[in-house]
Amino acid sequence: MNLDLERLIGLHDLDVMIADLDRKDILDREKMMGLSPEKAREELLTLRSDYVRNINKKWLGLYSQLTKHYGNAVVPAVSCRCTGCLTRLPTAMCSDPERNDRINTCPTCSRIMYWAE
Amino acid sequence: MEGSSLKYSAYCVSDLKACSRSDALEELLEFIPINVNSRKLIHGALEMREQAGPTTISAGISIPHCRSILVDDLTVVVGRSIRGVPWPEEPVKVMVMFISPVKPDGPHEHLAFISHVASRIKKSAEAVLNASSAESLLELLGMERKLGGVDEP
Repeated sequence: MNLDLERLIGLHDLDVMIADLDRKDILDREKMMGLSPEKAREELLTLRSDYVRNINKKWLGLYSQLTKHYGNAVVPAVSCRCTGCLTRLPTAMCSDPERNDRINTCPTCSRIMYWAE
Repeated sequence: MEGSSLKYSAYCVSDLKACSRSDALEELLEFIPINVNSRKLIHGALEMREQAGPTTISAGISIPHCRSILVDDLTVVVGRSIRGVPWPEEPVKVMVMFISPVKPDGPHEHLAFISHVASRIKKSAEAVLNASSAESLLELLGMERKLGGVDEP
């Protein structure tokens, strides 16, 4: 898998964790369990700032724009469809055995895509 | 959902060999039928969550967890280590690792599972730690064994 694609998926999951710890319901539940979600969120933000340093600026810029616009920048392609906008993808894109070895974006919504294999 | 009789499916590793938190996460992840790349990325996410704050919720019990776009369904692996795994200092003997999918309607499933585990552990932490078998451990946690991985009977 393309290294930048791996890092963008990792960044997406990291952002989901940070956003979850912003939610009152999750925050309350974790506190009740004896965890320290506020501290964990701060730490995750610090880890994020280190993590993004290793991502190509071009892709990081696209990721930020897409996240701002849609809320999610990286989506899996399933049955040759972008699961972000549900558009059917070009067959050549889906049938390429090396499709995860570069960054593909949906021709319709521009979200970054990967194929779970 | 709290204290529910709902049973979740979980993979189970009855005797973890790992001696460190990172290795334990890796060993638990080996049970999930996903590709090597996804496993590596999920391991990274779980590690980051642990670095941010260990998920030990009771002496000897931890709940490493994350949400990821790399899984389609809630995936749970329960692990037991006889000698304990430093997490990072205090030993942990029971791990309930779970990875929830990222869905457009939000983290409801994730939250429901956290509530389920919390109520079960609150009710019987001591029994969970001293469970005599993998089956009784899963029973206490309100889970049933999902076959797969290397611990399959």
